[in-house]
Amino acid sequence: MYFVAKVKEDECAKYNCKQCVLFCPEPNCINFLEKKSTAWVWPDKCKGCEICVYVCSDLLKRNCIEMVMVQAGD
Amino acid sequence: MGLEYVKIAPGFERYMPRDYVDLVKMGQFGRQVDVMDLGQFKELVEDHPMCAGCYMAYFIRIFYASLPNPEDTIVLGTAGCARLALSQAAVPFIYGNYGDTNAVASGLKRALTIRFPDKHKDVVVIAGDGGLMDIGFGMTMHSWFRREKFTTIMVDNEVYGNTGGQESGMSPKGVQLKMAPKGKQFDKINAVELAQTAGCVYVARISPTNPKRIAKVIRRAILAARHFGPTFIHAYTSCNIEYSIPTREVLADARNREKKDFKFYEWMTDEVKEYFEEMEKKEVKA
Repeated sequence: MYFVAKVKEDECAKYNCKQCVLFCPEPNCINFLEKKSTAWVWPDKCKGCEICVYVCSDLLKRNCIEMVMVQAGD
Repeated sequence: MGLEYVKIAPGFERYMPRDYVDLVKMGQFGRQVDVMDLGQFKELVEDHPMCAGCYMAYFIRIFYASLPNPEDTIVLGTAGCARLALSQAAVPFIYGNYGDTNAVASGLKRALTIRFPDKHKDVVVIAGDGGLMDIGFGMTMHSWFRREKFTTIMVDNEVYGNTGGQESGMSPKGVQLKMAPKGKQFDKINAVELAQTAGCVYVARISPTNPKRIAKVIRRAILAARHFGPTFIHAYTSCNIEYSIPTREVLADARNREKKDFKFYEWMTDEVKEYFEEMEKKEVKA
């Protein structure tokens, strides 16, 4: 059981900003889907550091990313 | 090294791991990617065992995304945190003894120049503050005195991170660490000024708060090293474990330090400046 970031895709698609992708320390962890213009998280790679949440909520005040609890194998 | 070395032999594609196929098809080899397109291509560096929220890992991620020619690059590292991520990338990596990175890089660069006289092969050293400014100080300095043509990048976390938190020459004065309970007694070494005095042709100090700027600085340092001489980048990459920074605050800390002692600073010799101005003019025309 551990915390990973999850993007609220409907909210995120409104902005087309990509800032969370640019500030994540893990390679290919948050990716950007151009078709839907939204970021998405690869939960296997996420270490739960919340830097993306800081960027999205504290800096940009957009609140599109939340931390969720996942089970191994989810 | 070289594009042919990276490509998958015909018929073997279905036997290769998915990550490798992605790397060849959607990776950085053979094309110049923009660092602002991160998240839309397969990055050179893979999953690494560095701590959650480590901004040294972040700097290394941006470093690999901004290499001008990843297929013609060799990276050197030494003991310390940085090598944990450097060794997980699809770029040849050499692990030196503690402190001898710049000596190994000198020999390597000279050999590559003789072996490939018609090509640019980039050699880049990435080591921590301990590897370059404490234990490897002599070899770092002498590679600069000899004007060896490669790039040195210091990822400065201001502490010996994975041996329990001893103070390093780069720790700020007065800081209390696990293995420096009285607080550090001496000032932080001014690495940027040392590099300028020792003969580097391009010197920069940067805090990782702006990916576009990091990419520009790294590209410039590598390109200047191809033609003119040694180049040096001093990057602030906080240790959130030893300095007890909550992971969520790591970027805030980098922004905060940028306002204080890690203001962006870039210095180059006149001939390097001329070279970049000409290059930028050509890019605008194209």
